[in-house]
Amino acid sequence: MSERIAVAMSGGVDSSVAAALLKQEEHALIGVTLKLQECHDAHGSRSCCGVDGITRAREVAGNLGFPHYVLDCVKDFETLVLLPAWQEYAAGRTPSPCLLCNERVKFGLLLDWAGRLGIERVATGHYARLGRDGSGRPALLRGCDEGKDQSYFLAGLSLSQLERAVFPVGHLRKPEVRELAKRHGLPTAETPESQDACLVEPGESFAEMLRQRFAAPARPGEIVDEAGHVVGEHAGIHAFTIGQRKGLPAGATARRWVKAISPESGQVTVTSDPRAILGTEFVAKDVSWLAGELPATPLACSVQVRYRHRSEPATVRTQADGSLAVVLGRPAKAITPGQAAVFYDGERVLGRGWIAALA
Amino acid sequence: MSILYADYNATTPLDLEVRAAMADALGACFGNPSSIHRAGQEARRLVERARAQVAGLVGAEPDEMVFTSGGTESDNLAVLGALAAAPAGRSGVVTSAIEHHAVLEPCAHWRGQGHAVTFVGVDGEGRLDLCALEAAAGSHIALISVMLANNDTGVIQPVVEVARTAAACGSLVHSDAVQAAGKLPIDVKKLGVSLLSFSSHKLHGPKGAGALYLRRGVAIAPRMHGGRQERTLRPGTENVPAIVGFGKACEMAHLHLAADGRRAAELRDLFETEILARVPGTRINGVGAGRLANTSNVAFAGLDGEALAINLDMLGMAVSTGAACSAADKTPSHVLLAMGQSEAEARSSVRFSFGRETTLEEIDRAVALVLQAVTFLRGARP
Repeated sequence: MSERIAVAMSGGVDSSVAAALLKQEEHALIGVTLKLQECHDAHGSRSCCGVDGITRAREVAGNLGFPHYVLDCVKDFETLVLLPAWQEYAAGRTPSPCLLCNERVKFGLLLDWAGRLGIERVATGHYARLGRDGSGRPALLRGCDEGKDQSYFLAGLSLSQLERAVFPVGHLRKPEVRELAKRHGLPTAETPESQDACLVEPGESFAEMLRQRFAAPARPGEIVDEAGHVVGEHAGIHAFTIGQRKGLPAGATARRWVKAISPESGQVTVTSDPRAILGTEFVAKDVSWLAGELPATPLACSVQVRYRHRSEPATVRTQADGSLAVVLGRPAKAITPGQAAVFYDGERVLGRGWIAALA
Repeated sequence: MSILYADYNATTPLDLEVRAAMADALGACFGNPSSIHRAGQEARRLVERARAQVAGLVGAEPDEMVFTSGGTESDNLAVLGALAAAPAGRSGVVTSAIEHHAVLEPCAHWRGQGHAVTFVGVDGEGRLDLCALEAAAGSHIALISVMLANNDTGVIQPVVEVARTAAACGSLVHSDAVQAAGKLPIDVKKLGVSLLSFSSHKLHGPKGAGALYLRRGVAIAPRMHGGRQERTLRPGTENVPAIVGFGKACEMAHLHLAADGRRAAELRDLFETEILARVPGTRINGVGAGRLANTSNVAFAGLDGEALAINLDMLGMAVSTGAACSAADKTPSHVLLAMGQSEAEARSSVRFSFGRETTLEEIDRAVALVLQAVTFLRGARP
């Protein structure tokens, strides 16, 4: 049946193919590109959010034969995504801005905007699938391409957001998407991946871009080893994440990893023992369950603690303060405060929380 | 796909005779008008013929016309060029709050340089507040700039009175006539302006050409340097094909002015009568003022104009709102805000503008499509 759908188009290959597939199904489409930064901030950016992305998306929509608009989200994106992300860095954590962007912008502002136009549904080029659970409620499932699966980034969506979402490429693998782009003659068939490149060039630091944008002071400090010996200094804790190897002073005998970041002292603790950055227990806060209510705990499920990490079997228990105590069946590398912990039942997303502290 | 085009104030289709006139300049007559040889001589002839045609539309002498790339450049050259050449002691600017950004922004830039700039308001119908203009005028004013007709509402501004005020205080006076040219009879001498901007693509000419009328004896300074073209006021090799097309378009506009105006008024009035009668909660912005015959700015109570414009686009009808698409706190048309409307009121408005190719049948279809889209949106969830 033909529906009115707004397709969020970055100008990249995935959302272009998503649009082409929907067009084939003869839905009444509009294309929308979110403008996330001012042109003069872009300094020749090739990222998905830049002006050239807008131009490419407009071209694709034109070729496919439906109208395209640019939705100015610059201020809202800054308030809803970038500022919270900086606050996480400033607190010594590593944010997951892509989740916030999906929850608050793509399936927040954009969904609301489309609703005002009388357009019920919003499609994106995410690699994730939608299904129905036993009681007919929408279920969010991993994309079929294991290497590309983006259900992690969508895990904070509510049922009512999922009810209005469409993921046309979720059942495809990336090579199939590229093949479809070629077959549809889309100019984006060979464009590079836009993932993780939002607002920054490859090689640039997202955290440092944020610090400069908000004119925030850096928190410099010492780099210490596990015994507390100072092995170096750094210019700001925002440049570090748990498990990081780059940018650390070389150890005498071995490689080093960031093990802990203290916003109070400014200390970054490093270790030469790769086992020291393995963990099995952590606390997750602000958990949102897709089913709406809390499943009975203790709950056996699997947990993914970072994008592109393998999910691990785990047991989760609610605690008195509403947070979740998560115990993994196997040690996981670099469990990092600020990152999302996403809970799965097999392929199906159960919910997401934010990693608050390591136990 | 055939579009019901109701956005003539944004741009107009190329007239077929204009296209034919341009074909020569795009083909055999490719010379550089500044060259000494015959090819250059021929190109020069085309440019100068166009200059006479363009001057003819506004009652100017050919040597009073400077070709530019379009309305924005003409406005910038007029404002910043006049200010750069202003005598010592005169650096103030008076303009209106409803100008096009091509005037507002250079004025704001000038204010950023530390000079006095006054943005005079308008009444609820969108007419300039002449008393406020007179109060702001004085011996320190270098330039008064007020548009001849507003692009959003079509409301015609009292430029004759503005020019009188300017003359009384010894200031230059500029008028942005981009929207008015080809729609209103214009005589620069009767208007009494020193500078007047207009553009080719608003009157069925090609994009990329515009003109600035510069009254004999008025001195402005160029904004670019590097050539003797256009009396050094606009250096760079002339865009001959576009200028030729612009000239032809002005000639055609001059020829059809009265008939075009009458026809546009009939169609526009029919459109407004039908909309007011059939679509509940509608109001015409600026209806109490003298307006361009082709422009209809309609407020749809409680609706989001942008949502309506996009729904009409999905139905195959092209219209405009005064603002870009924005997620949340979008800024609505500065023109409607200046008329004292609330942000919500201003956001509920859509501009319809008709032109030479608009048919009676299209007006009927336009009304039906608007009714369909409004009914859908009012039925849709909030």
